[in-house]
Amino acid sequence: MNSPRVLPTDRELSDPEVVARILSGDVEAFGIVIRRYESGLLRYATRMLGHPDAAADAVAEGLVRAYRHLASCRDPARLKSWLYRIVGNRCRSHLARRSASDISLEDAPPLPDPSDTEAAAERAEQLALVQRALETISPEKREAFVLKHVEGLSYEEMAEATGERIPTLKMRVHRARAALLEALKEEP
Amino acid sequence: MNLRRSIVLLLAAASPLASQGARDRLAGRVPPATLGVLDSIVQDAARDGLPTEPLIQKALEGGAKGVAADRIVAAVGASADQLRSARALLSSAGESRPSDPGEVTAVAAALSRGVSPQLVGRLSTALPGEPAGPALHAVADLVGHGFAEDSSVDLMVEGARLGLRGLRFLDVAAAAVQELQRGRSHAAALAAVRALLPQVPTPPRPAPAAVSHARRVQSSHERP
Amino acid sequence: MSHIDPQVHRVLDGEIPADELNAAQREQLAALTRAAHALSALPRASVAARVMAEVRRPPQGAGVRLAHWLTERHAVTISFRPVWSLALAAALAAVAVIPGHGPGPVIGDQEGIAQFVGRFPGAKSVDVVGSFTDWRSGAVMLRDDDHDGIWRGTVVLPVGQHEYMFVVDGERWVTDPLAGRYVDDGFGRQNALLFVRSIAR
Repeated sequence: MNSPRVLPTDRELSDPEVVARILSGDVEAFGIVIRRYESGLLRYATRMLGHPDAAADAVAEGLVRAYRHLASCRDPARLKSWLYRIVGNRCRSHLARRSASDISLEDAPPLPDPSDTEAAAERAEQLALVQRALETISPEKREAFVLKHVEGLSYEEMAEATGERIPTLKMRVHRARAALLEALKEEP
Repeated sequence: MNLRRSIVLLLAAASPLASQGARDRLAGRVPPATLGVLDSIVQDAARDGLPTEPLIQKALEGGAKGVAADRIVAAVGASADQLRSARALLSSAGESRPSDPGEVTAVAAALSRGVSPQLVGRLSTALPGEPAGPALHAVADLVGHGFAEDSSVDLMVEGARLGLRGLRFLDVAAAAVQELQRGRSHAAALAAVRALLPQVPTPPRPAPAAVSHARRVQSSHERP
Repeated sequence: MSHIDPQVHRVLDGEIPADELNAAQREQLAALTRAAHALSALPRASVAARVMAEVRRPPQGAGVRLAHWLTERHAVTISFRPVWSLALAAALAAVAVIPGHGPGPVIGDQEGIAQFVGRFPGAKSVDVVGSFTDWRSGAVMLRDDDHDGIWRGTVVLPVGQHEYMFVVDGERWVTDPLAGRYVDDGFGRQNALLFVRSIAR
């Protein structure tokens, strides 16, 4: 009698192994990709667009597109930057269509829940303050700052995700830091 | 030559030959099963004195984009309805030539961008004898950037009062959007542009090199 | 704009350790670190169910897939330049040009110039398809001669209102994000709307 085969857990599968499974027809394996990258992508899109619903749309559209075009991911070991590239494109597309003052009540930052702890409420307020400052800087600088300092991408990964050269990205990140610092000074 | 005539030259007028022209232009470009129904939509529009070129264009567009047959038919039908609504609005606004194909097409397009139908009347009153299309599009430009419709129309009416006509209304809208992008509030942007009227900037000229490198588009649709 | 000390940049880029900074530099570092920390809060939402529902759908025929694809919004990599604005988009419309001298077309008084530009790095072809081409491909092909990913073209068009989209690599329909003015195409997407001005004013 054969001993039962121990299947690797999600954590043990590398990105290339997951991609290979999906491309061989294992649709459910795409759930691993979602679990692995969804939070970071949602955070990135929320920082870029400022609206959680728009961010969810951008990420969902991006992930579906990634699934459908997975065979065109040239280097599955770089799946992460490929996904950020796709979602980044969706965010830019959303931003391109948005009017300058397109903020409705639904898009306003959520009101603090009275049952939140004081610490959680303070964190939420701090996030709202920084997010407001972030939205005053240009989308390119915003993206550069978020990819580098929030999503933790290396400059090489950022180059793959944006299609820009590394020296351009470094300059953009430097300017983003200065612009954000300036914007934070002006926050009440 | 004024804008009205130039738009008329651009568009084919409705004529008894429109229908045959439609079949010839659509054959091979749209799903064969749609030819009959599209032809009847175009014929109906021609009989009603509506411009047919926008309908033929919509069908060609659907075919080019690979859209399903039923969606092409639905879109062309919806375009015909928009043209009818535009003409009805122009008539009720007291336009002297409500059936001008260029004006009907321009107004239909502006309405499909979301401007309120009652604006047609307001602008027709402010611009007697002038096409309302460009001003409506200018209002649509502003509304798309978050300006209130009423204030946008007020700005165009003020521009008309000071002698602006035709595509200059688009320059008024562009100036207001520029002010917005410089960081002004919507109200301040409108006020800044009002103070400039009628001297809003015109778009810069293309460089001579761009003109000399310009190519002509080969189109199967010959202008009259 | 705030000036950030180059040493602070070097710390943030991982080139030198933070203990080489003085007090003022550390303040800047702390402000930026706090901002990054605040932004690193993870959202609670999940799109997993929605995405998996979509990817589990049975495969469709090529025609249906194409129709769905065409009716979805798709993005391409476009870098935003703050200088592009509706005013500049309006500049794509024709203005008075003195015709006649030198090479190039003689432009009639019922015609004007339209300039198209888009950023499509990696694209093999970029086409402008619209009402002025009878929605045929191949009539207005943009060029990227220096291979910087920026595709350009200039055409003579009749005066008046035109609608168009870009078609990338012969199959991907893309709304021009720099047009500044759009109209629903009736098929679930948006055409760019262009007004071409007469030569004579």
